[in-house]
Amino acid sequence: MSRVSRRLLVLAAVTSCVVTIAAAPPTTSWVDNLSPITAADWNAERAAHLLARAGFGGTPDDIARLAAMTPQQAVASLVEYERVDNGRALPFDESGVWDRGMDPFPPSRADAVRQARERGEALGVKALPEGSPRRLQPIVDKFFYGLRANSIETQRLGVWWASRMLTTTRPLEERLTLFWHGHFATGDAKVRDYRMMLRQNEMLRRNASGTLRALLVGILKDPAMLVYLDNGENVKAHPNENFGRELLELFTMGVGHYTERDVREGARAFTGWTNDVLAFRFDDAQHDFGGKTFLGRTGPLDGTDIIDTILTQDATGEFVAAKLYRYFVRDDVSPTVKAELGRSFRAGGYQIKPLLTRMFLSKDFYSQPSVATQIKSPVVLVVSTYRKMGLRELPTIPDFGRLTGALGQTLFDPPNVAGWAGGRTWITPATLMQRGNLFRDVLFADAKTFRAPDRLMPATYARVGDNLAKGMNVTEATKEGTGDAESNAQVDRDEDYNTRYASYKGYLMAFERTKPIPRRVADLSLVSMIAAAHASTADAVVDHFAKRFLSVPLPAAERSAFVEFFKGKSLTDESALRELLYLVLSAPEYQVN
Amino acid sequence: MSCSCSRREFLARGLYGIGVGSGLPMFLSRTTAALTAQALQGTSMEKHPERILVVLELSGGNDGLNTVVPHGDPAYYRARPRIGIPAKDVLKVSDTFGFHPSMVGFERLYKDGRMAVVHGCGYDHPSLSHFSSMSYWHTGVPNAGEPLGWLGRLADDHLDPHSRNQIVNIGTSQSLAVRSAKHSPLVFDDPSRFRREGTDDQKRVLAHVGDGAPSTSSTSANSTLDFLSATARNAADSSDFVRQASSGYRTPVDYGIGGAFGGGLQRVAALIAAGMKTRLYYVNYPGNAFDTHVQQGDVHARLLMYTADAVRAFLDDVARLGRGDDVAVMMFTEFGRRVEENGSLGTDHGTAGPMFLFGKQDRIKAGFYGRPPSLTDLDDGNLKMTTDFRRVYATAIKEWLGYDDTDVVLKGRFDTLGAFA
Repeated sequence: MSRVSRRLLVLAAVTSCVVTIAAAPPTTSWVDNLSPITAADWNAERAAHLLARAGFGGTPDDIARLAAMTPQQAVASLVEYERVDNGRALPFDESGVWDRGMDPFPPSRADAVRQARERGEALGVKALPEGSPRRLQPIVDKFFYGLRANSIETQRLGVWWASRMLTTTRPLEERLTLFWHGHFATGDAKVRDYRMMLRQNEMLRRNASGTLRALLVGILKDPAMLVYLDNGENVKAHPNENFGRELLELFTMGVGHYTERDVREGARAFTGWTNDVLAFRFDDAQHDFGGKTFLGRTGPLDGTDIIDTILTQDATGEFVAAKLYRYFVRDDVSPTVKAELGRSFRAGGYQIKPLLTRMFLSKDFYSQPSVATQIKSPVVLVVSTYRKMGLRELPTIPDFGRLTGALGQTLFDPPNVAGWAGGRTWITPATLMQRGNLFRDVLFADAKTFRAPDRLMPATYARVGDNLAKGMNVTEATKEGTGDAESNAQVDRDEDYNTRYASYKGYLMAFERTKPIPRRVADLSLVSMIAAAHASTADAVVDHFAKRFLSVPLPAAERSAFVEFFKGKSLTDESALRELLYLVLSAPEYQVN
Repeated sequence: MSCSCSRREFLARGLYGIGVGSGLPMFLSRTTAALTAQALQGTSMEKHPERILVVLELSGGNDGLNTVVPHGDPAYYRARPRIGIPAKDVLKVSDTFGFHPSMVGFERLYKDGRMAVVHGCGYDHPSLSHFSSMSYWHTGVPNAGEPLGWLGRLADDHLDPHSRNQIVNIGTSQSLAVRSAKHSPLVFDDPSRFRREGTDDQKRVLAHVGDGAPSTSSTSANSTLDFLSATARNAADSSDFVRQASSGYRTPVDYGIGGAFGGGLQRVAALIAAGMKTRLYYVNYPGNAFDTHVQQGDVHARLLMYTADAVRAFLDDVARLGRGDDVAVMMFTEFGRRVEENGSLGTDHGTAGPMFLFGKQDRIKAGFYGRPPSLTDLDDGNLKMTTDFRRVYATAIKEWLGYDDTDVVLKGRFDTLGAFA
């Protein structure tokens, strides 16, 4: 090749590069750029991105409505949600499972038994007369009833919330409440009181877009949190550090910005913050009124002083703002963005709405690394799919809690005090496969074989019932295992009570007393959806599904395989359309938004 | 980058490192990788290619003092007047130490010569945060921002990344301990759900596109999609084997009623029985269960009972399978707890704690290792660690798995304990 022609080639390459850069969307320079986008930059794709992140996505009509506004109006319509009427959102319908005498609920079966031995009664139930066989059985039965009934009520609570996420006219309110639920993680598995979980959920929703201070005060006086972090046990003589530590590490500042001494002094300031079951109580007899030094401030500090001291720290604004950024924008937050968002958050009195408005309007939010790069959390995955389908009522076949739980997220039961780690941690080979399978049970729901988890007894207890029905006595009916394992030997032990029998009995009692979750399959017509979209060929149907459900273009190979799959099938064949949609929702691309 | 190879090959190259694969046909590049790995190690690739290490994590910070109880030390009873385990109840294995009364399984393992206990394991400048401390144990590099897990690095250095599933992590999410640069650990919880569902027609389409076929066109700029595609491929390749191995597994051994933990160990036994080539298994006791701040007596007893039942059963089970010679178990927690009990009949976050090693009688040298930490010479109420936990890691790496360069994996030199024969 001659020198000249080589030079020409190089020149051509350079020219084509320049052309490519000029034609590309200007989003590279938007990375980390917090200035607002303009109306000229606003379009349906960006409106869809906003709705996916600040809400749970929506139908093409929902997106078109947002796209018709200016970006400022669109963001305000989501952020200023108090202005939106939400009259259809119903309160939780309690079954009424909690009897007098069940408060305070004993921390363990052994503790209930101890109480019963000392007082002759516990949980509002009397022991049988001295000398009766298994004289404590009714108490242990009641204890397990309490556990099971509460667990069913918590499942019902999860369905109630999911339903609210689906139907609310204020999607950001629920998205934020979900964020705070993960941030101030509290789990019913430990709290064991759905009433507390409900009250916490309402408190978080009430304060979701207010100020960080209101949220902190609310959560630190919240009975569920006080129980979850054992602060009822935080007393002057023996401060319990759990509360003080998680407040600093997980709720406000993050590790590295305080000392072990701050943890201990903070714990002292929260001594005596406790609860009378459902109400916060300040127990001045257990509060340490002495002087404390916390983050450089000295005095007879109490819990509120600790909160206010924490709020003076730069680290607090940055920590919380960065966490909101990771939840709404993308996993990696740059140091400059973190510092700037943190500074303005703190300077603005920790008002959450202006922070969100700034994030949702920023060029950074619409820049390439922020778009379609986030892995949907299980709850968002399911709710947003239902919204995109246009459903108006939450399907309960399959069960919502089971769907998301299998993927690692159960409402009211985060894995630990740090909440859900999110991002790529949602994905393992097994959960990704389950995500691919997920909507099969929605699109091909089978009400006949469906087994409602709120009426499901584990096999080991169901066997007890079967054995009793065969005429075995309680001792025979509750035998399990070979006896090698100490734990099986202990449970079979049959003295003042039989634990395995009580567990079985507790389930039966709980099934009687809790309202069943109404079961219904998705009210969905893909035939109508496709007709309304005027899609009249296999290509058009695939394209409509892809556009409606996916946040990234369908790769060409997948698209043609899907088209091939649907070719020759009828546009009025609901079942064929569902088979096709299942394929689209199974694509790895469906996991991102 | 233009690539005429299939999407799958493209992905494989990305995963295995561009330096090895680029420009060579796949079979050649694999050979090269194997030769390179062999050359780096100097000698034959494996001293003990059949050996398996199972790592067990007790999350939440297990109370070591109420697990391996220093019943001969009056200071223990002074610090724990209400929650200390009375000497008469302790399952004594020496004049000074014994196990919590619910750990019948451990007592038996110890007396059978299948168990080693390492006193006072921890690290300098301990963190009392669950998450920080656990991440230090996971990475094996305390107080640093190491991105990979120690088992992940071990696999990177010694196990062939072209051979799938060298690491299996039973759980709902991947542990940092197994995060690797070259390996894609197989993570699953419930094997029965580990499969692709659909009609035959659908599966055919999905096998063609959805599973394991990353889209080179649109994804090169989107690392999330690349990650999803790589994970999908791993799932598609492994799920059938895992599911069949697990569902077909029957054992007469009683794992107890501990649920997830015993179930996890039983899944490991099933995979070993099925001949899975995995060398490193990771199982955790989930949910921060051992975080016993309050009223810990009953709940801690139950946790320890489930743990001891499950470990004892697992060792019996692999012995029954004829693989007892090849399997060792190591168990840890992210920290022990404060020496003094708190006001709530519980214990707060602390520092050092015991670690445990298990194996067949003539493979492991049973007994106690390390110096027990003093219960009176404390650091702000906490035990001063006496054995860096990485010595136990080094012991597993070198004495058990047979890899001498522990300092490379652990990023520092740590003497082994002489706990394996």
